[in-house]
Amino acid sequence: MSDFQGMEDLLQDFLVEATDLLSDVDNKLVDLEKSPGDKGLLNDIFRGFHTIKGGAGFLNATELVTLCHLTENLFDRLRNGEIAITADVMDSIMDATGTVRDMFGSLEQGMQPGPASPQLLDNLRAAIAGQVSAAPPAVAAAPAPAAVAPAPATAGGPDWDALHGAVASEAMTITAAPTTPEVMHTDVEGKSPEQIIQQAIGRRATDKPGAPSSGGRREVEKGGGGASRSGGGDNSIRVDTTRLDQVLNLSGEIGLTKNRLNSLRSDILNGRNDSDTLHALDQAVSQLDLLVSDLQNAVMKTRMQPIGRLFQKYPRIARDLARNLGKDVELVLVGEETEIDKTMIEDLSDPIIHLIRNAVDHGIEPTADRIAAGKSPKSEVRLEARQEGDHILLLISDDGRGMNPEKLRAKAVEKGLITDEEANVMDERQSYNLVFLPGFSTKDAITDVSGRGVGMDVVKTNIQKLNGSIETKSALGKGTTFIISLPLTLAILPVLLVQLDQQPFAVPLSMVREILPIDVAEVQEVGGRATMVVRGEVMPIYPLNYMLGWASERTPGYGVLMQTAEHTFILAIDGFMGREDAVIKSLEDFRPKGVAGVTTLSNGQIVLILDIKELLSALGDGRGVPRSIFQAAIGAAA
Amino acid sequence: MPADPSKIKFLVVDDFSTMRRIVRNLLKELGFTNVDEAEDGVVALAKLQGGGFDFVVSDWNMPNMDGLTLLQTVRSDPTLKNLPFLMITAEAKKENIIAAAQAGASGYIVKPFTAATLNEKMVKIFEKVGL
Repeated sequence: MSDFQGMEDLLQDFLVEATDLLSDVDNKLVDLEKSPGDKGLLNDIFRGFHTIKGGAGFLNATELVTLCHLTENLFDRLRNGEIAITADVMDSIMDATGTVRDMFGSLEQGMQPGPASPQLLDNLRAAIAGQVSAAPPAVAAAPAPAAVAPAPATAGGPDWDALHGAVASEAMTITAAPTTPEVMHTDVEGKSPEQIIQQAIGRRATDKPGAPSSGGRREVEKGGGGASRSGGGDNSIRVDTTRLDQVLNLSGEIGLTKNRLNSLRSDILNGRNDSDTLHALDQAVSQLDLLVSDLQNAVMKTRMQPIGRLFQKYPRIARDLARNLGKDVELVLVGEETEIDKTMIEDLSDPIIHLIRNAVDHGIEPTADRIAAGKSPKSEVRLEARQEGDHILLLISDDGRGMNPEKLRAKAVEKGLITDEEANVMDERQSYNLVFLPGFSTKDAITDVSGRGVGMDVVKTNIQKLNGSIETKSALGKGTTFIISLPLTLAILPVLLVQLDQQPFAVPLSMVREILPIDVAEVQEVGGRATMVVRGEVMPIYPLNYMLGWASERTPGYGVLMQTAEHTFILAIDGFMGREDAVIKSLEDFRPKGVAGVTTLSNGQIVLILDIKELLSALGDGRGVPRSIFQAAIGAAA
Repeated sequence: MPADPSKIKFLVVDDFSTMRRIVRNLLKELGFTNVDEAEDGVVALAKLQGGGFDFVVSDWNMPNMDGLTLLQTVRSDPTLKNLPFLMITAEAKKENIIAAAQAGASGYIVKPFTAATLNEKMVKIFEKVGL
């Protein structure tokens, strides 16, 4: 490794790629449990470990190489049908992938991973040796390292030296062909055939991973690398080159159009303003317009990643948990090709893990109960992604026992999260959403999330941070579905432009359900707050000017029916201007309450994007607007 | 060693992109800057048949078409059969070496290796083919 440049970058690349590879291996292992004889799977898993080993060698990660090498050899035997997969073998394999993942963790910290547990290594060797004992005694009696490399199938076959001579005479670029005695000697010392060949083909001692000279070097690099990487984390992204090419193409086109505009500008400044010049200007600007929006889309696309990358790791988690709980659960993945903003993928990881654990632990009933209920003992948890309009929907559903709205309400009252009165007026949907209240699912925190400190309330908060929402559907005895709805990207927020006087404000379109005219005569007072009945449902009205603390003499002409996770209400406004895709600019140091950011309209006007949740909580979260204050806004015209 | 290493066009074949980058960097250290990549034997063959390549550095174990099959196909193609072909692998089993030799590999190198080792192998190949 001594003359190796860019070690940190290489490490980063390796980790990104190898982690994907390992997730893939994990999934294939889950499949393998179902069809243990599948040659294709065995081959793929073999190649996975093989590839990781190859890359790890260049990083001098000796322990990782050793572990991958053993596991690879095990799979070599398995795929050749020399040994069979038993539960013990499977456990060792699972243990090995787990350890490989841990080693990736060390590498991520810029540290060389320590050795795998001796027990794991012994188990792997024992699994491999399951076959070795049937091999010729000479091989079987060899010390452990000999068992590490599988004995070549031709162990008792052609003469080694003769073969070697044949190889050399085939004009291979072999530098030093060792003599027979040397080979014999080293073999007796317990070196594997592999090591011998490595010597034979002229690998120098200094090339070996872990050799003192390169090892020392590594220490130095480690120090530097660790420091430079510590702040970075995983900031790299893998982008399909065709997408990058598109970005490049468009930037080139924009450059050309800019040149055209420059020349037109000098023409115009020199007094040319005939219709031809103006027409050309019009064309150039229209073209630029088109190109820029194409470029925006293309750049956005570079951030989009198939959600399958995220899904990959879940079957293993579901399997392990189900096994611990003595349940038979299959995690079905649907829509892995759905693309989603990369930053969101990272932030979704934990919430989805929690929902899957929740489904396996609480959603799916014990096998005995399933049989008693006449269900199949094998249960299914579905993780599905799909795009709907400008939203991505994630559905996590189980075919378990479902939730009982009455019990949920009773539990919430018992825990003092809601009052009896509140419980009485709750419909089913509201009852299901009680699980998202902080403090509701205390049992989760103890049993299944093992110290992560993630409850359903945190799941909801995390989803909301992504401008998303989460909903629950459940049918008693049939199962529960959690539906997460997310915007396609965080960089662009579709907003509704509403007006107060002549001043526009932007509200996130994701919260908007509908726009309706407000007829002051229809505004009623229910429980001391101003409300309106929409299709039989009583909704509180909050005038926007009141929320912002503006005095207004005007009668709100429209109401925007808005829905957050906790509240559904009508935002009373003077008028609206339509929808727009806002590019959010955050206000760096200055953040007024209730303002999420700003955006610029096409006419150059700056518009505040409102943080509705913050405005609501300033009002005292759903307690409603006192009638008297509301009267001032509407009453003036009444 | 050729007079102008940057004139020699390489094709690096490996399904693991990190590995392609490693090989590419090592080649760069040796002055070979004209490098294209392919992610498996099928892609590599299509590129090679497109012409213009002077040297192939290929991994053995790959999906779709492995390095050995690629080598055999290259050797049986009249326009490509003399192309220098260096086989890379993590395996150093004798049957692998023999298989590679019989298929007509110009050289064989075991991972991990340094630029110096790579150079050593390549010098030998260059001497032989007279590049």
